[in-house]
Amino acid sequence: MNDLLTMAVVVSALHLAVPLIYPALGGLISERSGVMNIGLEGMMLVGAFTGTAFAYATGSPWLGLLAALAGGLLAGALLAVLCVTLRADQVVAATAINLLGAGLTAAFVPIVWNVDGTSPPVHKLTAWTVPLLADLPGIGVIFSSLTALDYGAFLAALAVWWVLFRTDAGLRLRACGESPEAADSAGVPVLRTRFLAVTMSGAFAAAGGVYLSLVSIGLFQASMTQGRGYLALAAMIFGKWRVWPALLACLLFGLADAVQLRLQIASTLFPSELLLALPYLLALLALATFVGRASAPAAVGRPFART
Amino acid sequence: MSIPASPSRRALPAMAATLALGLGLAACGSSGSTTAPSGQAAKPVFTMVTDQTGLGDHGFNDLAKLGIDETAKALGGLAKVIQSSEQAQYVPNLQQSVSSGSTVTIGVGFLLTDSMSQVAQSNPNAKFVLIDATAVGTDKKPLTNVASINFKEQEAAFLTGIIAGLTTKTHRIGFVGGIKSGPVVRFLAGFEAGIKQVDPKTRLSTAFLGNFTDSAKAKELAKGYSDAGADIVMEVAGSGGLGVYDAAKEEGAGHWVIGTDTCKDQLAPQNFLTSATKDVAGMVAKESKAAADGTFKGGELRLGLADNAVGVCDKTFGTLPKNIQDTVTKATTAIKAGTLTVPDTEAAAAAFTAATL
Repeated sequence: MNDLLTMAVVVSALHLAVPLIYPALGGLISERSGVMNIGLEGMMLVGAFTGTAFAYATGSPWLGLLAALAGGLLAGALLAVLCVTLRADQVVAATAINLLGAGLTAAFVPIVWNVDGTSPPVHKLTAWTVPLLADLPGIGVIFSSLTALDYGAFLAALAVWWVLFRTDAGLRLRACGESPEAADSAGVPVLRTRFLAVTMSGAFAAAGGVYLSLVSIGLFQASMTQGRGYLALAAMIFGKWRVWPALLACLLFGLADAVQLRLQIASTLFPSELLLALPYLLALLALATFVGRASAPAAVGRPFART
Repeated sequence: MSIPASPSRRALPAMAATLALGLGLAACGSSGSTTAPSGQAAKPVFTMVTDQTGLGDHGFNDLAKLGIDETAKALGGLAKVIQSSEQAQYVPNLQQSVSSGSTVTIGVGFLLTDSMSQVAQSNPNAKFVLIDATAVGTDKKPLTNVASINFKEQEAAFLTGIIAGLTTKTHRIGFVGGIKSGPVVRFLAGFEAGIKQVDPKTRLSTAFLGNFTDSAKAKELAKGYSDAGADIVMEVAGSGGLGVYDAAKEEGAGHWVIGTDTCKDQLAPQNFLTSATKDVAGMVAKESKAAADGTFKGGELRLGLADNAVGVCDKTFGTLPKNIQDTVTKATTAIKAGTLTVPDTEAAAAAFTAATL
């Protein structure tokens, strides 16, 4: 059992949590502006695919990362056109994004690489060894195992928190999610704000997706996200649409997953089926117990039109 | 709920969303490739339906595709692949293959068993091949219009277990499975018995992904094994197994991976030890040809070393130390002769003790 109490578990937990943190932040921005975003899964796949394709074409994972963010913005903009401009049903539109994301990325693999299902390997974003910190006893290993994209997740959380809760722009965005009519009468451009928020959420989701393809594995696989977009959404709800609790929820899911994987290795005491369900059981428990009724933005899911 | 401004403005986004849905579904649909168009009117059509793992697993889906491609080329027919992205698509995809006039419909993977049994019974004149499971009717007997091809994975895995047991320096070996079921359990049982055959003090740990796709999770598992002191990991995890190779590449020389279905040395040339291989391509090609020339016989098949249907990777076998090669050869002879029966369940593997070769 002492296998479980090592820093390696913490590193593993971070590797499993970061691809949840980005899409959770994306979902938070979108939902705070009043647009429900269950399309994170599809946007993640778009990011994972675009990142791999450009890293393959240019030989640079950094250009791949940039391309992934651009691809995410496009996917976000598509959802924004459907939900904000055209006022489509947000659940139906986001489901369309998920199906498009899964279907198109899988269909493009043979077009780009002339093989089915899985791309050839590409250069990965490599881990940074932080001077001094990496030499610390015990926790030092953490600071030699993380990439820019890992640190970026925490910086992104800080940035999202600061913009949403410490700036005028953030206040206006949240007003669009609570009472678009009031925001509108106060002169806030509701549609433009929501459009931008949903578009941005695409880039965040894509960052989570490209983490899987350019940090974890170094290739693209059809449907490689495996439900992480939905788990990120659950983490965001668990965190009551607030940045730090949502971040904590992602870390908790990551830790639960890392621990259950190591438990499977270390012991035959627990059936693997039960352990595999652990993060999802936690998510269910979280949704069923910790979330009060009134924590969602009041106007989330409701299209806005000036009357 | 807000009241829509006007009905027409509401209709537009609904249409747009429907269109997007349609495109998405179309993209999950079939992709065909014509090979050698011949003058004949009735060209044979070989259609393969996958489970969610789909093509690109470097394993049995890709092998099945190879099988129909070769047959299509040899007979001047058409090879088609329909990929399923979720379980609910199995029945419609299989039915679509039948309705579009396929000579034979090949279901790849045990996840398709129930759906194939259902479709095969409602289309008794259509021919099917099922890989890794047996399609049965309501009387629990194998269906006669389905060639249900099962492999004795345990026999191949037994040989890889011997190779692993004689290669490990730390006497700790890991196993990463996809979903704990049918073929995966047979691989595991044979592997465990093979290790016991040569090195009873080696400890084998097992873990599962819960799917055959999540390579990021598989990689974390492989690293966990490495942290626990294991120097060999066997993967039976479909395309999820790719994560195990990536972890081994990062860990460097001395960290070995044992693959499944086919040689996977290209995934990690420095770390690839061997594979428990299954001749999925050969069997799919054989049954496809049989369906095209009218010699098709349905029913259940169980193929092992004696049928040359399973084995270990040829490519790396010659590079193994002489004593390992000899032990593997002896075990192969004993299994083929029937003097050694390899366990195919976890319980039987736990009770297994080394046999005299």
